[in-house]
Amino acid sequence: MPGGGTLLQAAVKTRPVFWHLSVGLKIAWYALAVVSVLVFLYGVARPFYKWSRGRGGPWPPYPWRELPARLWRGLQSLLSHRTIARRDRLAGWAHRGIFYGWIVLFAGTVVLGFNTDFTKPVFGLDYFHGNFYLGYKEVLNVLGTVLIAGVLVMMFRRGVLRPRKLDYTRPDRAPGEVHLERRTYRVGDWAFISILLVIALTGFVLEGVRIAMSHPGYGGTQFGGWVVAQALSGVSSATLGGVRHGLWWFHGLLAIAFVASIPYTKAGHMITSYLSLSLRDPLAGKRLAVIPPERASAPAGYGQLQDFSPLHLLQIDACTKCGRCHEACPANATGRPLSPRDVVLELHEQSNVAIGGVLGGLMAGRLDGGGAQDDAVVGQDGVRTETVWSCMQCNACVEACPVGIEQAPIINQLRRRLVEEGELDPNVQSVLQTIHKSGNSFGERNRRRGRWTEELDFDVKDARREPVEVLWFVGDYASFDPRSQRVSRTLARLLDRAGVEFGILYDGERNSGNDVRRVGEEGLFEDLAEHNIAAISECEFQRIMTSDPHSLNTLRNEYPVLGADWQVLHHAELLLELILAGRLDVGGRLSYRTTYHDPCYLGRHNGVYEAPRQILRELGCTLLEMPRNRSNSFCCGAGGGRIWIPDEPGQERPAENRIREAVALQAVELFVVSCPKDVTMFEDAIKTSGNAERIELRELTELVEEALLPAEVAATT
Amino acid sequence: MKFVVCVKQVASLDEEFELLEGGGVDSDFVEWELNEWDTFSLEAALALRESGEGEGGEVVAVTVGEQEAEEALLACLARGADRAVRVWDESLQGADPLAVARVLAAVVERESPDLVFCGVQSSDAVTGSTGTALAGYLDMARVAVVTALSYDAPSSTLTVDRELESGLVEVVRIGLPALLTIQTGINEPRYATLRAIKQAREKPLVTYGLEDVGLDAGAVGVAAGAHTIELQTPERGAGAQLLDGSPAEVAARIVEIVQERMSG
Amino acid sequence: MSDGGVLILAEARQGELREVSLELVSAAREVAAGVGGRVAVAVIDQQAERFANAVGADGVSEVLTVTSPTEHFEAHVWQRALEGLIERERPAIVLAGHTIDSLGFVPAVAARLGLGFAADVTAVWWAQGPRARRGAYGDKLHAELDFPGKSCTLLTVRPGIFAAAPAGSGAAAARAVEIDLDGTARTEHVEFRDVAIGDVDITKAEFLLSIGRGIEDKDNIPRFEHLAERFGATLSVSRPLVDAGWMPNARQVGQSGKTVKPRVYLALGISGAVQHLAGMRSADTIIAVNTDPEAPIFGVAHFGAVADLFEVADELERALG
Repeated sequence: MPGGGTLLQAAVKTRPVFWHLSVGLKIAWYALAVVSVLVFLYGVARPFYKWSRGRGGPWPPYPWRELPARLWRGLQSLLSHRTIARRDRLAGWAHRGIFYGWIVLFAGTVVLGFNTDFTKPVFGLDYFHGNFYLGYKEVLNVLGTVLIAGVLVMMFRRGVLRPRKLDYTRPDRAPGEVHLERRTYRVGDWAFISILLVIALTGFVLEGVRIAMSHPGYGGTQFGGWVVAQALSGVSSATLGGVRHGLWWFHGLLAIAFVASIPYTKAGHMITSYLSLSLRDPLAGKRLAVIPPERASAPAGYGQLQDFSPLHLLQIDACTKCGRCHEACPANATGRPLSPRDVVLELHEQSNVAIGGVLGGLMAGRLDGGGAQDDAVVGQDGVRTETVWSCMQCNACVEACPVGIEQAPIINQLRRRLVEEGELDPNVQSVLQTIHKSGNSFGERNRRRGRWTEELDFDVKDARREPVEVLWFVGDYASFDPRSQRVSRTLARLLDRAGVEFGILYDGERNSGNDVRRVGEEGLFEDLAEHNIAAISECEFQRIMTSDPHSLNTLRNEYPVLGADWQVLHHAELLLELILAGRLDVGGRLSYRTTYHDPCYLGRHNGVYEAPRQILRELGCTLLEMPRNRSNSFCCGAGGGRIWIPDEPGQERPAENRIREAVALQAVELFVVSCPKDVTMFEDAIKTSGNAERIELRELTELVEEALLPAEVAATT
Repeated sequence: MKFVVCVKQVASLDEEFELLEGGGVDSDFVEWELNEWDTFSLEAALALRESGEGEGGEVVAVTVGEQEAEEALLACLARGADRAVRVWDESLQGADPLAVARVLAAVVERESPDLVFCGVQSSDAVTGSTGTALAGYLDMARVAVVTALSYDAPSSTLTVDRELESGLVEVVRIGLPALLTIQTGINEPRYATLRAIKQAREKPLVTYGLEDVGLDAGAVGVAAGAHTIELQTPERGAGAQLLDGSPAEVAARIVEIVQERMSG
Repeated sequence: MSDGGVLILAEARQGELREVSLELVSAAREVAAGVGGRVAVAVIDQQAERFANAVGADGVSEVLTVTSPTEHFEAHVWQRALEGLIERERPAIVLAGHTIDSLGFVPAVAARLGLGFAADVTAVWWAQGPRARRGAYGDKLHAELDFPGKSCTLLTVRPGIFAAAPAGSGAAAARAVEIDLDGTARTEHVEFRDVAIGDVDITKAEFLLSIGRGIEDKDNIPRFEHLAERFGATLSVSRPLVDAGWMPNARQVGQSGKTVKPRVYLALGISGAVQHLAGMRSADTIIAVNTDPEAPIFGVAHFGAVADLFEVADELERALG
């Protein structure tokens, strides 16, 4: 384009592309653009190669034919920002601004490039003028402003609000240790949003200079540039020309460099997070992975990066450091050396170091070198064993993650290897041995499993001997723990009263294996599951019920992979059914002010939130919600085998933290639970947190029975 | 270095067991597991093998017992033993420590190891005798009730702590070959995953009869040191006065008794 | 001594006669009549004569001394010495203590000489031959044993079961038995070490609150430390807690720990393994709390409660105000 007639061209509602650039510079410009794209493509391709090398699962993670639909669903989630806006509306809106701003500005550049480099030279068609140009400018101006607003909100959040989740200090490193604060991440994040801001701002400034120089007169559609132009009035045309030239190169080169850097910086999440979100497993954490037959003789779980599944390798590259898992994690909230975020980031760093060289180092955000793919990922300089064992496998992290990372299942895979290498707490070791020997975690003879029924004044059917309507899988705690046995008897009386034909397996039942599996003892889980599936398959029944959410999860989500096909209910669901059918006439007789704790494995894992709440309403109780409720419920601390690992003395227990949350509710009287482990954990925590005078624990079943009592009394008088 | 580890599948009795007419215990009330002491002695052998000095050595687990005792051997193989040998003959039913030691001696002689490890005792029979009787049959140097050990390769000697009564320990040196009976607490026995136990089925496990180890049919009877006439339920809590009632009542009685006895 | 009779093997350590030696004299009385009435006590030591007077208690017919070439107990020397004694004296019954030293050589003697043998016996008597009783299934059952076809039976007797006979004063004749023991030692003594040194001496305590495996978690220890303090008791433990590294050796009661004789011994969550009972059975008053009604501890306790130890502990705290 000749340098001369610029004013004229401006007057016909377009603008010069490559405004007075020499041919040499144009070539240089295109060469840089090509290099940028190549560097970008290399950066994108490289991790694909890395992920594909993971041996712990299929590549691609799902069959090719499923991928289009998944990518489409991922796109829908992305466009709606559903997962990003959840639980953090401010960040959701700001991210929408940046996302849509960036997409449209990028698309704008592509549209311009398409015109300049394709339609005009090839077909002589130049659409870059007139109303199209004006509309183009309007849209870009609006979205550029939105982008800048989004970036400024994010900067305000980081710089002023400073939420805890954006504090990168690692709970798994002590003060004074390297990588404690992760300064490089902080710098990287600021650089990322600053570059976005600078690119957007220089775009406007460039526009402003152009307007100031050419006074095209329709500044209304280019309001961003117009504002700048007002500030520049009075500056000489020669100066503006120089500034414009310099700015053009600055803006252009920055954008080109930014594109090239995308896969290597935080900006890489545009690709990895979208892929991770698209490939997310809706059953993550609910149904852990079986060991495929071809890996049967290989060491279990993840010891080295090469043991990871490609999907998990992709996920550890997809983390945006948003800190939602960090915030949701009950271990982290109670001062344990675990943050799911830091586990993922640590693995991510190792994974980048494993790529090797300066590139890997740069991507890892640290230049201290590192190992290869066959280095152990768990160790003093990696993910520490105490970190792996601090996890309660409550799935709060998986639930919170906006990009579909499976923190808890990854930690579970790390545990599988630690168990195999004997790196487990001696208490857990002895419980596992006990379960192997006796089939239950209490070390009781299995013949005593049904002994809790002996105090009832009716016989509980043996489902192995006669057909039943409901097969009750009782579970260890409800069978052997004296406190939970009381609840079991209450439940039995309710079922009997409602005329439900139910039976139990007596000594045919074993520990369901839920916790065993979450501890990482996959072989023992398989053993227990096989036994239970065989025992249950011998029985005649319509539905299975259990009062133990942990057993529920494993029976409902995990046994089917091993060949089971049953309808599995939680007792809250069955009780509600009986109440609504009028078989248990509770008639709103109670008037307690209650709060309800969602058990992780009933709520988050299995989506049963309403049945227990509706029962409380049917009983006439007032339900006060704790701030952390439903899918954001806070773990009692018993999950994932943590119930078998002694806590460090002096630390706040998660259950105590939860009780403090409950007693802060206005005039609350009862803490209602629906899980045998919760009964144990919270009854203890109410005492140890000194709240015995302020709140009492009730199992849902006990309240239902209490509501029935007055009716009985009324009937007899 | 070659190690033989002698192990036992022990029986633990349910709290509410029933005796059979013939004097035995109804097997319904018995649970089986690898003897606790043997988990420590196996660990001692495995640790010594892994510690460089004994590297490349072979660990052979040996037991005398019925089919079910293979569980104990599988537990050893899963933890890292290379091979396992089980010896059984009907005449070994209810065998005493001397008879068992006689059979073990026949196996150990064939293996000719540098070190033999035994648990101090088994949790069911609690005789503390099998290992030392085995050393007697083999005429092998031995130390009983070992709570620490270190091996010096150049001199082929072990320095071991021998646990005595009243918190006293005697440190002694012993050359190879030798037999040690290992006390609990000497190490932290490793965990064997169920997967490892299943995979252990691939490892060599042979079963011998008496003639396979060069003993004749009467050997067990000849070696036996004792014959059990009958099993009895002991008179429970002879003299123990039972404190009944709720925990609060029990606690109150305890306080009362303590105050009375301490002031008297 | 002619053929037959009872041969007792006395035990000494670091120049002191161990009490089990005199307990064996009492045990021998139960069977002596059946085997001709003679009871001989043998002492193996570098200066065996020094114990001759003490072991020659009432009812002992003869004291035999064997001079050991080693200063301290050496299992192989002792084995040869006992074999020599049995070959020369041809006793019908040999009694030794079921002690750590015995564990190192007595079963080997029985094996090599093809003797009748039982370890850790808690009763001996005569009924057309020697009879003995010992525990089975971890002491949950008792087994009655006989020794058919054996001309000599070797028994190790559980310490603390028989009352020790009063030490003798030289009434019994002493005779040196010459057995060639040179070159039989196969281990070399390095040193003795006291591993149970600690800030407390539980053997001096008048009131011990003792906890065992039943407390489940290391976490629970402070709770019982607190309870002991409130109660004015000293805290002691059974072996598993020391093995787990939760408490120091100095606090351990039992065969490998300390032998204690407090006025009151309150055992919470201790089932009462043989080795533990050996260390506390002579307490004046023993109170045991355990969930297992079959726990052997109830066999030696004066007062027993089948209850949850945590519940009882909570109530004790409450009762103590």
